[in-house]
Amino acid sequence: MRIWVTGIGMVSPLGRDANSTFAALTAGTRAFGPVTLFDPTGCRSSVAAEVPDFAVSEVAPAEVAEGWSRTDAMSVLAAREALAQAKLDPAVDPVDLIFGGTTAGMLETEGLLADMHQAVAARRPLARMLSHPLSATADRLRDSVAPFRRVRTLCSACSSGANALLLAAAWLRTGRSERVLAGGGDGLCRLTYTGFSCLGALATEACRPFDRDRAGLSMGEGAALLVVETEAAARARGVEPIVELRGWAVGAEAHHITNPEASGATAARVMGAALARGGLAPADIDYVNAHGTATRLNDQMEAQALAQCLGDRVGKVAVSSSKGQLGHTLGAAGAIEAAITALTVAEGVIPPNMGLVEPDPDLALDLVRVARQTRVRAAMSNSFGFGGSDVVLVFAAPDRFAEPGPVEPRPVFVTATGSVGALGVGGTALARSYVDPAGPAATSAVELDAAAHLDLARARRVDRVGRFCAVAMGEAMDAAGAAPAEPQLERFGAILGTAFGSVDDCSAFIHRVFAKGAKFASPVVFPSLLPSSPVAHASIYHGLKGPVFAPADLAATSESALVTAIELIAADEADAMLAGGVEQTSPITEAVLGPLCSNPGEAVGAGIRSEGSSVVLVESEASLTARAGKPVARVIWWTSWRGAPAAPLAGAPPPAELGTAAVFATRDDPVLEALLAGSSWADVPRHTTTRRAGTHEGAGGFAVAAAVSVLAAGELDAALVVGLAPDRGYALLLGAGSEVSTVSPS
Amino acid sequence: MASDTVRDKLKELIITELNLEGKTPDDIEDGAPLFGEGLGLDSLDALQLAMVIEENFGVQIPEGDEARPIFASVDTLVAYIEKESA
Repeated sequence: MRIWVTGIGMVSPLGRDANSTFAALTAGTRAFGPVTLFDPTGCRSSVAAEVPDFAVSEVAPAEVAEGWSRTDAMSVLAAREALAQAKLDPAVDPVDLIFGGTTAGMLETEGLLADMHQAVAARRPLARMLSHPLSATADRLRDSVAPFRRVRTLCSACSSGANALLLAAAWLRTGRSERVLAGGGDGLCRLTYTGFSCLGALATEACRPFDRDRAGLSMGEGAALLVVETEAAARARGVEPIVELRGWAVGAEAHHITNPEASGATAARVMGAALARGGLAPADIDYVNAHGTATRLNDQMEAQALAQCLGDRVGKVAVSSSKGQLGHTLGAAGAIEAAITALTVAEGVIPPNMGLVEPDPDLALDLVRVARQTRVRAAMSNSFGFGGSDVVLVFAAPDRFAEPGPVEPRPVFVTATGSVGALGVGGTALARSYVDPAGPAATSAVELDAAAHLDLARARRVDRVGRFCAVAMGEAMDAAGAAPAEPQLERFGAILGTAFGSVDDCSAFIHRVFAKGAKFASPVVFPSLLPSSPVAHASIYHGLKGPVFAPADLAATSESALVTAIELIAADEADAMLAGGVEQTSPITEAVLGPLCSNPGEAVGAGIRSEGSSVVLVESEASLTARAGKPVARVIWWTSWRGAPAAPLAGAPPPAELGTAAVFATRDDPVLEALLAGSSWADVPRHTTTRRAGTHEGAGGFAVAAAVSVLAAGELDAALVVGLAPDRGYALLLGAGSEVSTVSPS
Repeated sequence: MASDTVRDKLKELIITELNLEGKTPDDIEDGAPLFGEGLGLDSLDALQLAMVIEENFGVQIPEGDEARPIFASVDTLVAYIEKESA
């Protein structure tokens, strides 16, 4: 089954669309200039690649523009371009959406956040905070571009946009979707500019990837989205391919929160896996669009990795980094550079590596100095994120290589849960207590004795929310009966999300920058401020080398994580995944973001606000065999939806076919009632967690864990877990025992 | 600022800013290497230390190779801070 790219949309510092960006790239244009979006005084640099003369008001409807970010506006333009090129009307042919980013509306909310550090009551124009959640951009895309069917938002720092495309490929390959709009966007903001500055990572002048005298990266901004669809779906619409999305792979270095693994071993492994996924060999690759940030460490690591992956072909394969022209666009980079790589194959023109004066003699690469007109059969795009989240995508000329075989979705099993919450720290056995109506109600804060569960010397950089994750993950692995070991670790990952990231820590960081100056920004705090930081810290702690990233979907974030993990295992992108969510007590979430992002009357916060982390360990049959593990439940069915589809649970087998069954959710409210009323699940018992777990955006993870725990105890045959947030929902059906049944999402 | 005061303050900053939970100032030997083995500090810690030293002592530590001998130990850091603030 082939995957076709049929539309490309891009907004970059070099142009407002894909064609003008690519033309400027091949012409060697560099887009750097003085930072105008904020005052960079006190930073190591004052240049960046901004999208010139771009204003949110050009795109956002006037009546809601206050709640829009630059990230939103750029992403909307890119999405419209991609759909137009693909001749796609999502109202006619359903399209799913996967969006990757890191900072969403940070630029627009930084001033408010700085004020809120002193007093949450200082919140002024609340509407502006609507742009803050990472999931906000996907919401704008859905409101303003098209009624996308299924929507997912994720962050893996600077590989976010590439991970979105990887997940899209997994969906297409397993038949979960026929058509996905996937990519990423990130507007420039003080937080990341100041953060990279305090890490010593910013070059004073425009960056020089792979140069002997390279001295750091330059920041950029932008957005890119690509329409990817199955060949059959595109042919049915009579549409031609631009290129094939041919290979993809993701892995984590488990090394360091900011520094890349010097050997390049993980990056080389992921490159090799991406080629293998596409049935390609190094000899098939004619071009590599490098991550090439122009930091000393990245470029050296990447050259090492390329040498390991390409063998004696390194030095013969053309390599360039686009960051010497449009800067490092962070969460957008993986998508923008995927778009550039796709256009390189389609146009037969390799863009240059600008900023190169004297190539680093230690890096034996064929660096492109001026654009080359040449046939490009297949090309690779590298993306490496903070915490060592590496993603590699491969694009190929249509029909140039043999058609990859079809794949059957693999069965997925649940082996354990682990949690840190109102009832303490525990594994599978503890979680059933979260639906036990007896016992005391949750109190607000969770006390975690970190020293009792973690090696504090190794965990000293892991902040509180990261420690919640690390402890919950450790409990799940303990409960599963075996800590993962090599080589299983290479396909063992973690997806844990937060609804609003570490918003209070961002607020403190920015307040300090405003109060004391940018040069007093904290280098050890900054790497913990991205939405993916908690799961990255925890995965490094546990040495996990599979997919590591963070989803964000308001109060259904944990459910989003679990469903995504199941999808990756079903698609053979991973063998074991710890999946769930984490939230910590947050004055800004409690007072501002929580209420703002809930429907009136059903606000998260209606119960006692608590905190914690709950994860589920899901595994493939291969993983279970490798470690002689025993499942406690199997995944029978799952779904996710946006808006108000007619009968989202229609695909779920009726409880009568499954035996004794129950529904698990955080709370029983009119929305859940209405959802179940239209299904065969209306009359089964319901178990809720709010009383004992308290309420917070990650609380859905406790409902999932409780369901697993009850199934493990042999008290039920099947459990339907439902997670709801405004305009979105997830449902997951688990069955007791280990009998293999066909995975059948809908 | 007297030498002992600088030393005590510096050790306190190392423990709090680099989150060395369970460590006391007495655990940090004056002449022992700060980075690599020992406390297990790395380049990210060096950046944080340089920032808080400037914030607390008003002394700027140079970057790159020049910084290495200064960051060698608590002794060398104290000597540098005293020299620069004299």
